[in-house]
Amino acid sequence: MHDDDELDENMKRAAAEYHKPPGTPRENMWEAIQRGRQVKRPPQSGRVLAFPRRWVPWAAAAAAVLAVGIGIGRLTVPHPSPSAPVVANAPEAPRKRESAYGLATVQHLGQAEAFLTLFRASVRGGGDERLASATARELLGNNRLLLDSPAGRDRKTRVLLEDLELVLAEIAQLSPEPRSGDLELIREGMERGGVLSRLRTVVPAGATSRQGAL
Amino acid sequence: MNDRELIGRVLAGDPSAERAMYDAHVDRVFRLVFRMAGDLDRAQDYTQEAFIRAFQRLKEFRGEAALSTWICSIAVSVTLNGLRKIRRAREREIALDDAPPIGTGAQEAEPDLKVRLSRAIDDLPEGYRTVFLMHDVEGYTHEEIGATLGVRPGTSKAQLSRARAKLRTALADFVRK
Repeated sequence: MHDDDELDENMKRAAAEYHKPPGTPRENMWEAIQRGRQVKRPPQSGRVLAFPRRWVPWAAAAAAVLAVGIGIGRLTVPHPSPSAPVVANAPEAPRKRESAYGLATVQHLGQAEAFLTLFRASVRGGGDERLASATARELLGNNRLLLDSPAGRDRKTRVLLEDLELVLAEIAQLSPEPRSGDLELIREGMERGGVLSRLRTVVPAGATSRQGAL
Repeated sequence: MNDRELIGRVLAGDPSAERAMYDAHVDRVFRLVFRMAGDLDRAQDYTQEAFIRAFQRLKEFRGEAALSTWICSIAVSVTLNGLRKIRRAREREIALDDAPPIGTGAQEAEPDLKVRLSRAIDDLPEGYRTVFLMHDVEGYTHEEIGATLGVRPGTSKAQLSRARAKLRTALADFVRK
């Protein structure tokens, strides 16, 4: 442990020399920015109002995410039942909660897998950044809830959720203005990290279609 | 002048406010972008593109994070996309095994910690590398990194820890010597 700390300190010192920046070329860059801003004008097309060509899969994914959110809510909020003997159920409550979080995690990962699969296919066919971004934000919210929940205590799950968070955050931050290639680059980054294949490994077949059971 | 006032003046078309916003943030942005890109021309291009986008999208800034964090997040996104384009172009041109790492020139095989570390940093997965450079090299806090990358501070910590572990592994034989 001590050796690791010492090595980390040495690495930190040596890393200070890594790609050490020169002085900022302020004026050169400012002039280029001014020129660039004159050339680039925001698109005046009716993209915002135009009906997205590929709205169906994204809307379906968004709806599915909402359903999962509701499901997580139902599972995690206690529902006192007048007919149920509360005292008799008490020792089982933590176990039930654990399994509820496990179920919610599997379903969230299933939704994420479905979304990323659609995202990947949509990128190839010309996707809609706005809808992709909105859906990713929804999933990101659920992802954070799960990371902060007991589900995040399992190391393997936590690592996957954290890696998934990076991918979702990147999609969520997509500009609403279309930029050719950005989606494709995110897709490449996603595949390089193997998030989608790891999701497929942990999500049992049919997990996404079971959400109605919640 | 605070961020809100500055943004108001920029949106109203005040050229001196635009320059003030640029001056206030350009050093920090350029430093980070250069660390990531490792090349002056690329760092200039990415920094310029980041500010052009920031000015274009300023009306969308909702103030959920500090203005500096918001500009940095645009710069990181522009830089990562730029580096991916370069990597993709290189992979098309030459076999992967022969490709030199992005952002570095030709390096001699010196048994020097800095050189070894430099190569190891180049080889880190993108997310680990970004967090390592932001935290351990440029001194960003995990809260700032989280806000910039759109992830939780805990995720930033975890990514940093894994980055350090990978670097330790990469340097293990060097340390044993």
